Amino acid sequence: MTDPSNVLTFLAREKATAPASVLPYAELVAATNFSFLRGASTAQDMVLTALLLGHTGIGIADRNTLAGVVRAWSALETIREDGLPAPLKVREGGSPGEHTWIEHPDVKKILNPEELKKRAKEFKLLVGTRLVFMDGTPDIVVYPQNRNGWGRICRLLTRGNLRVPPGKTRAKKGKCLLELRDLISDPDDLLLIVMPPDDLKGLEEILVQVRNATPFAWLGVTMLRRGQDARRLFCLKQLAARTRLSLIATNDVLYHSAKQRDLQDVMTCIREGLRIEQVGRRLEVNSERHIKHPVEMQRLFRAAPEAIKETQVFADLIRFDLGELTYEYPDEPVPPGWNDQDYLEDRTWFHARMRYPDGIPAHVEKLLHTELDFFRRHDYARYFLTLYDVVRVARDKGILCQGRGSAANSAVCYVLGITSVDPADFDVLFARFMSDHRKEPPDIDVDFEHERREEIIQHIYDRYTRDRAGIAATVIHYRPRSAMREVGKVFGFSDDVIARLTGLVWGSWGGKLTDAQLEQAGVDSSNPVFRQALDFANRLLGFPRHLSQHVGGFVLTRGRLDELVPIGNAAMDDRTFIEWDKDDIDALRLMKVDILALGMLTCIRKAFDLIHVMGGPKFGLQDIPPGDPGVYGMLSRGDSLGVFQVESRAQMNMLPRLKPEKFYDLVIEVAIVRPGPIQGNMVHPYLKRRNGAEPVTFPSPSPEFGESNELHAVLEKTNGVPLFQEQAMKLAMVAAEFTDIEANGLRRAMATFRNVGTIQNFEKRMVGRMVERGYTLQFAQDCFNQIKGFGSYGFPESHAAAFAQLVYVSSWLKKYHPAAFACALLNSQPMGFYAPAQIIRDAQEHGVEVLPVDVNRSAYDNILERTAGGMLALRLGFRQVDGMKEDEADQLLARRGAGYASISDMRERGRVSSPMLRRLADADAFGSFRQDRREALWEVRRLPNDPLLPLFAAAAARELGEDSAVDLPEMPLGEHVTADYQTTRLSLKSHPMQVLRPLFRAEGIFTCAETSALRDGHWARTAGIVLVRQRPGNGKAIFVTLEDETGITNVLLWARTFEKFRAQSMGARLMLVEGRVQKSKEGVTHLMGARVFNRSDELGRLSEDYAPVEPELTRADEFRGPSAQAGMHRHPRNVRVLPKSRDFH
Amino acid sequence: MRRTAASGRPDKPLVVTEKIKGAQRLVSVSPQARRIGISVGLTLADARARTPDLWVEEVEARADAGLLAAIADDCDRFSPMVMIDAPDGLLLDITGCEHLFGGEALLRKAFGARMKHAGLHVRAVIAGAADSARALARHGHIAIVPPGEDAIAVRSLPIAALNLENDQRIALSRAGLKTIGCLADRPTRAFAARFGEAMTLRLRRVLGSVEPPFTPRRIVPTLWAERRFAEPIGRAEDVEAVLADLGREATEKLVERREGGRVFEASFFRADGAVRRIAIETGRPMRDPAVMMRLFREKLGALADPVDPGFGFDVIRLSLITVEKLDAVQTGLDGHAVEAGEVADLADRLSVRFGADRVLRFLPEDTHDPERAQRAVPASFNPLTSAVWPDPEPEEPPLRPSQIFDPPQPIEAVAEVPDGPPRRFNWRRVTHYVAQAEGPERIAPEWWRRPPGEPTRDYYRIEDDEGRRFWLFRSGLYDSPETRPRWYVHGVFA
Repeated sequence: MTDPSNVLTFLAREKATAPASVLPYAELVAATNFSFLRGASTAQDMVLTALLLGHTGIGIADRNTLAGVVRAWSALETIREDGLPAPLKVREGGSPGEHTWIEHPDVKKILNPEELKKRAKEFKLLVGTRLVFMDGTPDIVVYPQNRNGWGRICRLLTRGNLRVPPGKTRAKKGKCLLELRDLISDPDDLLLIVMPPDDLKGLEEILVQVRNATPFAWLGVTMLRRGQDARRLFCLKQLAARTRLSLIATNDVLYHSAKQRDLQDVMTCIREGLRIEQVGRRLEVNSERHIKHPVEMQRLFRAAPEAIKETQVFADLIRFDLGELTYEYPDEPVPPGWNDQDYLEDRTWFHARMRYPDGIPAHVEKLLHTELDFFRRHDYARYFLTLYDVVRVARDKGILCQGRGSAANSAVCYVLGITSVDPADFDVLFARFMSDHRKEPPDIDVDFEHERREEIIQHIYDRYTRDRAGIAATVIHYRPRSAMREVGKVFGFSDDVIARLTGLVWGSWGGKLTDAQLEQAGVDSSNPVFRQALDFANRLLGFPRHLSQHVGGFVLTRGRLDELVPIGNAAMDDRTFIEWDKDDIDALRLMKVDILALGMLTCIRKAFDLIHVMGGPKFGLQDIPPGDPGVYGMLSRGDSLGVFQVESRAQMNMLPRLKPEKFYDLVIEVAIVRPGPIQGNMVHPYLKRRNGAEPVTFPSPSPEFGESNELHAVLEKTNGVPLFQEQAMKLAMVAAEFTDIEANGLRRAMATFRNVGTIQNFEKRMVGRMVERGYTLQFAQDCFNQIKGFGSYGFPESHAAAFAQLVYVSSWLKKYHPAAFACALLNSQPMGFYAPAQIIRDAQEHGVEVLPVDVNRSAYDNILERTAGGMLALRLGFRQVDGMKEDEADQLLARRGAGYASISDMRERGRVSSPMLRRLADADAFGSFRQDRREALWEVRRLPNDPLLPLFAAAAARELGEDSAVDLPEMPLGEHVTADYQTTRLSLKSHPMQVLRPLFRAEGIFTCAETSALRDGHWARTAGIVLVRQRPGNGKAIFVTLEDETGITNVLLWARTFEKFRAQSMGARLMLVEGRVQKSKEGVTHLMGARVFNRSDELGRLSEDYAPVEPELTRADEFRGPSAQAGMHRHPRNVRVLPKSRDFH
Repeated sequence: MRRTAASGRPDKPLVVTEKIKGAQRLVSVSPQARRIGISVGLTLADARARTPDLWVEEVEARADAGLLAAIADDCDRFSPMVMIDAPDGLLLDITGCEHLFGGEALLRKAFGARMKHAGLHVRAVIAGAADSARALARHGHIAIVPPGEDAIAVRSLPIAALNLENDQRIALSRAGLKTIGCLADRPTRAFAARFGEAMTLRLRRVLGSVEPPFTPRRIVPTLWAERRFAEPIGRAEDVEAVLADLGREATEKLVERREGGRVFEASFFRADGAVRRIAIETGRPMRDPAVMMRLFREKLGALADPVDPGFGFDVIRLSLITVEKLDAVQTGLDGHAVEAGEVADLADRLSVRFGADRVLRFLPEDTHDPERAQRAVPASFNPLTSAVWPDPEPEEPPLRPSQIFDPPQPIEAVAEVPDGPPRRFNWRRVTHYVAQAEGPERIAPEWWRRPPGEPTRDYYRIEDDEGRRFWLFRSGLYDSPETRPRWYVHGVFA
């Protein structure tokens, strides 16, 4: 067998067995894993294997898609540059940047990267597609001869993607419907390989049709050891002769190595939805469909060597390379008569004068000049004008937006209003973007209010038309859970076992699972099938599953988009997306604009509006007074509930330690509580230096090599500790005198971190040069290690700065307009970490009066009211009531007039439906009728269920007749609170814990406030409602947040305690914790839990306040023992007294 | 609780789950699970988060219904009026049956003992009205309600006992009306206006003032005769004798009524709770016990599994399900014409004569593995689904031989490396010289079935110089280092 990975051993064999002359060969029909659930190898493995085996080229053709070809192209580019395949990206978490890189498994076998580089330079990559038709035509593989042919293929696939199936009203996502005439009506600039089906009957007719349409058609022939290969070859030869076509040899490849056969079998099962023992002859009979050595191909085709030679003829006809897809920016943003660069400069200076009415500061002016020059050199003007255009539209519509990303920190962006971080107060590190050697397009993400982003998206479609604007795809990959689930089904595991196996995948997937881990999950570790399944799932990881639309990445073109890339229909109406994802677009250097949604912007805009409505000024993002000490004071106390980014527990703990005093501190605050700095051990050194516990020093080079404070400029802002990705680059440039090109190479190596090869060269170079220049070896090595750390997790300063701006704005609102801020937060839900109950409570603690929902006062949204004392109060809106629809609420409001007088008035005049009246009554919203919940519900319940016809309203009112008097018991407070939580998820009347307080008081249990007041080390018993359970990455500790009427307590359970009290910890809604109080210097209190009790049953006391009175019977037998079944038939919702906490699983 | 696992009962908290709106939720839990705070309605994921080590079974509605039906069958012994109260209850109308057991208390005791013996945990309540009993069984403490006191007995039950829609239940509890008693004390009109007549009807039923119609699950026979045995009987002749006895008893009644039976059903109640019923149906009504017995005997003889007495039957009952006026003459049976499927018929007869497992036919299997591509099954076996034979290619020689050897027979062969067909081979001490060959057809082993390392096979269709045709294969490849290739003949073509 040919082991593709071992090029050297094979070459030795080659000499012994090779025929006198080896015919050059290229595999022209290779499917990658973008032929979903068919191809079982990545494009990179295909290219690499073909190279190692000495093919002269490879043709990548997936089924009706071009989605995978960019991967092949990038893989080849990487090998051309590095002589090594690119490392593989392994996700470690869901958030951006949470991934690491591992080396390609074949790298160690590549003994001579230079040889590989040389081969790669001569290697020809053909990119095309395998057309699969709906009309019974055999598959035809097509390759474009040139750019024009590429456009044709894209249009052809687009047509197939958007074709409406018969009997349907719209195209189905993921289905490409093609007919032969779509292809042969316009086959110019295309090369076709017809792949004969198993049954050759009827093929001749199709071949004649194809032959008549284009001279550039071939007949593919395979030798797959199916038993009749020779006979079939003979038939096809005759057929080719009759139709004047040439035979072309191929192996119709599905995987790069025969070893992938079993994985391909498993994928076939997934595709067919069958178990492995059911799938039968749908599987390939053998493992022949891998890339074979040219010598082997030549031997197989010894009866038709011309078919081997034909592969070279075919490849030589192709002149197209994906790199040709040069991008031209759209024309729209440039007014007629203007040159794009001139217009950009004109706008820049115009807005700069507006922004700095007292004169543009000199350093800003200098920056603007530098940047504009740079844009001119790289022809980026249209990119920035396009963004400017989008942002201006948003501003006209009153939609808040803010840019971020590597290029976003430019002064030009600030003056044009694309970003809101003022370069005048903030030392912009734009150099990361501005490098003449980085031929990469600018990259700016623009965040918009999440509720109104769709308006911007539709605007872009309108302005650039669907022919020229499209949303990028997101490739949905197999993740541990999805892979395990599907593989589990193939092996016929029950849902339960699958759940156990997927449950195993808590942390990183990389390592082998131990028997103990399997046993712990309740899986029989001695059963090899489980291991086999896990192994398959592991191999399936990272394979694409399907394409979906990206959240907001737009590709804009000057020419037709569908001649650049195929377009498909998204599941959502009015959306189309292209077949390439973000990485592909980056690789090809196309222009992309990210239109993202950010909930906090919605919230800020709503707060601004509320302030304005209540008679305040009209604020914009850039109007908030900077540097307010009150805002920093509030944040330094950790008082940040609801504030953007810094409201998590971890951030709330960090704030009092960092004590931010200025804007840049917020930038650091945002960046420091991240996996990168935490795992890179930079948090503590930074905090120590900041708090003066350690001197801030900057190592310097020997005097003959440079200024002693050369690093000062790089690391000054972060006290000598590199925290941002940008600093790592600067460090290399300054301390090791890396050139632009070198730094750029380092940045790339960093982003695609690898153990061998390039990074070691950089390490040698950087450490060597730093030592040479007089830095200590230790320092140089430390610096480099930090850079390596950033490879995985670096958080760019430019993102942090944009986020910090929103942190400041939201904090300012919280500090000075707490009512408006809380109201806007509630109106933007779901968002952030906290539930409405906590937001309300926080507002109350900040002195905001909160008023209940009332049919005569509330609107759908929460609103602000002036109280009698002239203060602003927050009136809860109908949106807080479960099940209320906005349109229903609007109708109620429209007919409200001066107010409703009674329930029947609401029904007759307001035409409020009975179900809605019931919901309102249940939410206790009839306060202005002086009817409490119980009374109102009893009355509402009597109304007929159906909607009232206006004509009969009056008649119906009479028909109801006299009601029998029923005296109902008064509703106790506890029950009110419970009902409040059930209907609005919060209660203004009391806290459940307050109702239960006498009970807990009697047991000597502390309130949260009392617990916080205890001394360090004091023993405490505290009970509260569980708000959040968190288990941070390494799983050593579990954090639980408890709440009662006095505040919150943060409980920490070490993993051992947690395991001991697992059932209680995970099951309790009302939790009692015993443990020791631990207090940090900054005053952060934790309760270190030693014992945990589930006291959720007490919640039942709130509502079930009746004591059953046993009946008196003449004589009756009774059961002994308690009624065990009592809870059996309860619906889960009835059991729930409080809304669910936020938990990990 | 709802199902006893057949084997391997791990000592872990048992939960039974069902997929409800995409999430696995617990629908019932064992007492052990309940003790550690795992309750019905949780999602499985939540339950696992609390206690990772659970014994999880997925709900099998059919198996549960089957079990309930089996219990209902067995309860026939207490009263023929049994009604299933799905998903997990039974209602028995014991009116007039209690004296057979010596009163209500003893009947309940006998019932409880029997269920306990079968490993079932039951809550049994005897009350005047069906719905009162049912509400008390599910929510109360009282076991036997004295006559006429249903309305008092149910007073302390929670309103959940009314089995109302969720929203109505919440509405009542929001109104502070939490027990049946609270409702009973207030004017019914107030409830009817708010919750509809259906709710007040439920209330009245639970209070015992209205009886719902009782629909027993089995047709109550027109007449029946039964024997109860203190010591269960099991010998075939005893059983037959009892049945004949019952037949005579029944025919006497038929004569009295001037009727004949058309559907007779014999019920055998096994001591362990299993009930087997055998019914015979005649073309015309008849009342001859001898004829009836002959039909029963034939039927019993024809059964693949005769009525297994286990530890013996403790009740045998003969029921006449359908009776009609009896005509004087009973006609004999006609001969019947042979219908379609004579082959099937032949197979049936041969199977009867030689035994079902000796008359076999081949069924196709969906696999590439030639050894498993067909499967011999009893001719009478009719699978629900089956693969199809691959279509032969017209005008092409067959790919597979008509006869294959199991196991393949090893041969000595001389062949070209790496994948040429043999030039000659020795089989059964004869050397065959290959005149023509086609191949290879490479068939890889089924990795999920075969042990790892099983070699790939290359099959060749061979014609020797005397025109004999063989199906040979080489196990293992010449260019694979792990295995040494060996040659086999796997079949011969006709």
